[in-house]
Amino acid sequence: MAQQRVQGTRRVWVPAAFFFAFTLVIAARLVQVQVIEHKAYAERAATELKSGETRLARRGAILDRNGNVLATSVDTWDIYVSPRSWQDPVNALQAADALARLLANDIAQPKVDASQLRAQVGAGGTGDVLIARDVSYETGRLILGSSITGVTGIVNSARIHPEGDTGASVLGIIGQENSGLAGIEAQYNSVLQGKPGKAIFERDTTGDPIPFGEHVVTDPQPGKDIVLTIDRYIQRQAEYWLEKGIKDHRAKGGAIIVMDPRNGEILALASSPGLKYSTLDLSDAAQGDLLRNRTVTDLYEPGSVMKVITAAAAIDAGVVSPGTTYVDTGIAYIYDIPIKNWDDSVYGTQTMTGVLQHSINTGAIFMVEKLGQKAFHSYLDAFGFGRPTGIDLNGESTGIIRRPTDDDWSPVDLATQSFGQSISVTPLQMLSAVAATINGGRLIKPRLARAFVGPDGVREEVRPEIVGEPISETASATIRQMLYDVVNPEGRTYPGAPVNYTAGGKSGTANVPIPNGYDDRQVASFIGFAPADAPQILVLVKLDENNDLMTGTQAASPIFAKLADDVLAYLNVRPDSARYVSR
Amino acid sequence: MAAINHPFGAAGRRILFPAPVGRINWWVVAAIVVVGVSATLPVLQNSTATDDGFAIQRARAEQVRLNGEIRQLESDVARLTSLARIQRRALDLGLSPASSPYFVTVDEPGPAPAKLPAEYLPRTASETGSPEPWWQSLIEWLPLPD
Repeated sequence: MAQQRVQGTRRVWVPAAFFFAFTLVIAARLVQVQVIEHKAYAERAATELKSGETRLARRGAILDRNGNVLATSVDTWDIYVSPRSWQDPVNALQAADALARLLANDIAQPKVDASQLRAQVGAGGTGDVLIARDVSYETGRLILGSSITGVTGIVNSARIHPEGDTGASVLGIIGQENSGLAGIEAQYNSVLQGKPGKAIFERDTTGDPIPFGEHVVTDPQPGKDIVLTIDRYIQRQAEYWLEKGIKDHRAKGGAIIVMDPRNGEILALASSPGLKYSTLDLSDAAQGDLLRNRTVTDLYEPGSVMKVITAAAAIDAGVVSPGTTYVDTGIAYIYDIPIKNWDDSVYGTQTMTGVLQHSINTGAIFMVEKLGQKAFHSYLDAFGFGRPTGIDLNGESTGIIRRPTDDDWSPVDLATQSFGQSISVTPLQMLSAVAATINGGRLIKPRLARAFVGPDGVREEVRPEIVGEPISETASATIRQMLYDVVNPEGRTYPGAPVNYTAGGKSGTANVPIPNGYDDRQVASFIGFAPADAPQILVLVKLDENNDLMTGTQAASPIFAKLADDVLAYLNVRPDSARYVSR
Repeated sequence: MAAINHPFGAAGRRILFPAPVGRINWWVVAAIVVVGVSATLPVLQNSTATDDGFAIQRARAEQVRLNGEIRQLESDVARLTSLARIQRRALDLGLSPASSPYFVTVDEPGPAPAKLPAEYLPRTASETGSPEPWWQSLIEWLPLPD
C-alpha cells in the first residue's frame, strides 16, 4: 500500500513557525553573546568568577656566623571584623567580649576592652575593620577557631629577633610591606624577600575555589637565609663594653668594631646611639635618625691613630725606618705657623717607634715631610681614604681629604693630616686601613655577609675581596712590631695591654672640628690588634665627646684590652702572655 | 468517530522499534545502558571532583597551618637558645662569669658543636675541598713505595 503523504495544516505550521522564529531569536542572541560580544562577556565572567590572592614568600632568616638566628619571620594574623555582623547589639556585645578576652592572650598586643572594640568597629564604615595587626600565630588560631561572629583573619608575617636588641643597628628593620628599611634587611632585601606567589582560580558563590575550574598557581619562592660574619657573643660583648665606656666616661656616643684583619670579616659592629627594637617608635621622627649605622655614615677626624698610616707609608716608601731618629723641639713651624705636640712636651731625640709610643705630632710631620705631599696622598688613596670601603651596608660615606686642588688648601693641611687632622674618615675606613698595615699589606673589603643559604639548602660562600696592596709585607711586619712596642713600653704598664694576649695598637684623641677651627669637645679612640704576631682580631674603640676629657689611651684602650681578652678566649685562641698552663 | 490526525505517519504504519514480543532485544538494552551510564558518569565525576576539591582545600589549609607551626617552632628554638636565656639559666644554676681564668691545654676534643641545621654551620675544610677523584682510590691498591 502506498504510504500516505503527510498533509500540513495551519494547526501544525503556525506553532512550528513560532518555534522556528523563537529558535532563530535564541540562536541570534547566542551568536551575539558567544561570538560577537564574546570578549566583553568573557572578561565580565572572569571578573565575577575568578579570584586571585598573593601568596607571601617566606622572608629569609638572618643568622650569625655560627648559624644562630638573629632575625627570622613567623606567621601572624591580621584580625578583621565585619561591621554588618555586629549590627545586632547582643551579638556585638558577646563577640566583642570574646574577642577582647582572646586578644589579651597576646602580650605583644595593646590592651583593648570590649567596649573599645565595639566603638572601633562602629566607627569603621561598611568594609571589614582591621582590629589587630600581627597577632601571634597561636592567639590568631584561637580567635579564628572560636567562630566569633563577624571575625576573620588574614595571614601576615612578623619579624622576630631572638637575641633582642643585640646587633639591631646592623640587622635593621623591615616595614609593614615586609621590605627592608635599614641595615642588612635593606641592603639584602632582594635576597631575603624572595618572590611572592600568586593564585588565580574560579570561585563559586561562596568564594571557594571551584574544583577542576581554572586554577593558575605561581608558588612563592622563599627568600635566602643570610649568614653574617657577625658573632652574636662578640657583638653582645662589644655593645656591653661600649655602653659601659659611654657611661663611665660620660660620652655622648661611640662605636666599637671588631674585625678579623685576615679576611675583612666584621665580627661585631656596635654603635651608640643606635637602633633598639625594644624602644623603637617610628612615629617619633627623632628615632628615624637611629636607623643609620654611624660606623659607616658618620665622619670624624681620627687624630693620632692616623700616625699609623703615616708611619706605614713612610716605612714602605723607605724614607724612614723604626730606628730613624730626629730631634723633637716640641714645636714644628710650617710657613711660620707653629704646630705643637698634643701635650706640649719636648721629647728630644726620638726614633720613629718613639714617635708612635709618645704620639709626637712633630715626628709625624717629620715623616710626612720626608715622604712628600704627592706620595703621602697616593698612600692615603691606596689605603682607601676618600672613598667608601664597599661594605655591604647602606649609606656609607666617602670621607674627606683636603688636597692641593682644593681652594682653601694650605701646606699646613699636609702637616696636620699626618697626625689625623684636616682629614675626615668613617670609623670603618680607619679600621680597614689599619687592618692593611698589620695583615701583610692587603687592603680587604670589609663585609658582613658570609654566606647565602637558599631554600634548597645550597650554600653560597662570600669570598674575601682584596682591593689593593698599599704596603709591602715587610713594611707591614715592621708596623706590627712598632705598634706592639706602643702597647708594651719599657718600664711602664700600658692601660691598653690585654692580660692574656700580646697586642699592638695606637690611640687617638682629636678635637671636634667646627668652621674655622676646633672646639673643646673631643673624640677619644684606640685601634688595637691581638695576638701581636698573628693578629686574629682588630678592634676600634671610639668614644664621642667624653666629658671626663680622658685621652684615647686612658679611656678607649682599656676597653680594647678587656674585649681582646674576652673575645680571644671565646675564639679558643691560645693565650700567649701572662698566666698560661700547659701540660 | 473523530478523525485522528497523524502528522508524521498514518495509523498502522510500520514503527521503527517493534514492541517486544516475548523476547529481549539486547541491542535496546545495551543502548539504554550506554545512555544511562553516559548520563550518570558526569554526575559521578562531578561528585568525586567536588569531594576531591574539598579535600584539596582542607589539605592546603593544613599545609598552611603546618608551615606556620614549623616557623613557630623554629622561632621557639631560636628564643630558647638565645644568649640572654642561656645567661639566665646559667645564673639560675648558680654559675657566674669567670673573673680570673687559667688556661690549660688538653689533648681532648672541644665541646660538641651546636645542634643546628647543617647548612647553617660553617663548612669544615673537608667539605670545602674538591672531592677526591674515584681513580685516586685505585692508586692505594698499587704496591707503590711510600
